[in-house]
Amino acid sequence: MAFVMKLDLVDVVCDNSLQHTYVRDQKVGYQFQIRLSNYRGHYLSCIKELKVTVDGEAVNQDDVTFCLNGKEFTMLQLPHLISEFWNLIEPATIKIYKPGGLASGSHHIDVTLLLRIPYLRTPGSKQEHDYATLNSSGSKTLTVM
Amino acid sequence: MSNIKLGVSLYSFTNEYVKGKLSLEDCIKKAAEFGAEGFELVGTQMLSSYPYASDKAINEFKAMTSAYGIEFVAYGANTDRGMRSDRDLREEEMLQSAIIDLQTASKLGCKVMRAQYLLSPNSLGKLAPYAESYGVKVGVEIHNPETPTSPIMQQYSEVIEKTGSSFIGLIPDFGCFATKPNKPHWDDALANGAPVELLEMAAQLRYDEVPREEARERLLEAGANGAVLGALQGMYGFVTFYKQPDLEGLKKIMPYVVHFHGKFHHLNEQLEEASIPYQDIIPIIAASDFDGYIMAEYEAHNTGQALEMTKRLLQLERKLLTQ
Repeated sequence: MAFVMKLDLVDVVCDNSLQHTYVRDQKVGYQFQIRLSNYRGHYLSCIKELKVTVDGEAVNQDDVTFCLNGKEFTMLQLPHLISEFWNLIEPATIKIYKPGGLASGSHHIDVTLLLRIPYLRTPGSKQEHDYATLNSSGSKTLTVM
Repeated sequence: MSNIKLGVSLYSFTNEYVKGKLSLEDCIKKAAEFGAEGFELVGTQMLSSYPYASDKAINEFKAMTSAYGIEFVAYGANTDRGMRSDRDLREEEMLQSAIIDLQTASKLGCKVMRAQYLLSPNSLGKLAPYAESYGVKVGVEIHNPETPTSPIMQQYSEVIEKTGSSFIGLIPDFGCFATKPNKPHWDDALANGAPVELLEMAAQLRYDEVPREEARERLLEAGANGAVLGALQGMYGFVTFYKQPDLEGLKKIMPYVVHFHGKFHHLNEQLEEASIPYQDIIPIIAASDFDGYIMAEYEAHNTGQALEMTKRLLQLERKLLTQ
């Protein structure tokens, strides 16, 4: 049985953070910021699942990157990042490739973010590498700045 | 003769810090205002250059500790055995990470480092010469439901004794001496629809040391809902409690204790802690040769009362120490 913890300490999707990204003055996509809703930070290798849905439509994982500590990581790199630490109060930037960008106005952003709690064994489990899950998912309607 | 100093773990202000109501500097300032001589922080929570101590971070801490007249005494290290996505860390890997943590604690000027029980007794023993070199005492935390003399803690005591080093030891968390159900958990369960008579039944089952599964079945038969079962989980886990807490065990391990976590959840205006018998624990420490800190560690974060409660805890501790 999965053991899930959720601490609603902060909004995961950050206010006023939705912006377009440009290449040679052309909109090539957009980005927004997310926070970890937890009491401590984690290594990025602890991220088990990160999915973004915008206006009800799932974003292709190839088109999402995770920016932190001055670097930009692909979704498939995340499980290997055992020395990139996500500080508790540091927002990460989620960048999404979408030529032409978003229509003006507001958009509903839904982020599924599940992490392995690396010191908390699933209660009652005798298996190795079987840890409780931290659910730091969140959603918010943002307007493109 | 003991020499007990009072400190505050900034972990007490988790809620306020995460929400941006208190900055790191505000947390340190508040701890000093409440009369703490020293503070502790959890690296994964408040160290901007975790797991390292950058020059910038070191200089910032120096400026803050001298401005507010408080010492950075203890560094809370984590043992993240499951940090890799493919397998558990091996013992050697956890030991090596703990050596990095020791360097960080040393650079930050700390005298004590808290290790977690996932660092094995064997690894704690191997850490002793490093701890001596870096001038930081490492203690394994005795956290509920462990007690000073539970089997794993006895293994640590044996290693400490065999090593003969004063740089490795134990850090009892006062929560392991609780004598009553945890008040915030109890209140949350009530708010979530747990009938009070079933909570009382759960507490009695725990007092009577009825095995967890049997207690669960008897509560289900009595009509327990999810809120009651959730509370039961805590009563047999991280917030368990006893008719007779292991205070004799505490006396026995006192020579190995390097530091304390003064866990607390709620103090009323008469300065009584809701479930942890400070009045029984403090005299035992005072009567020993302990020379170190009791770090106040508030853990009822969602109440928003951390500041008031921490202030009260230091008042209670001072009162008990002057008696």
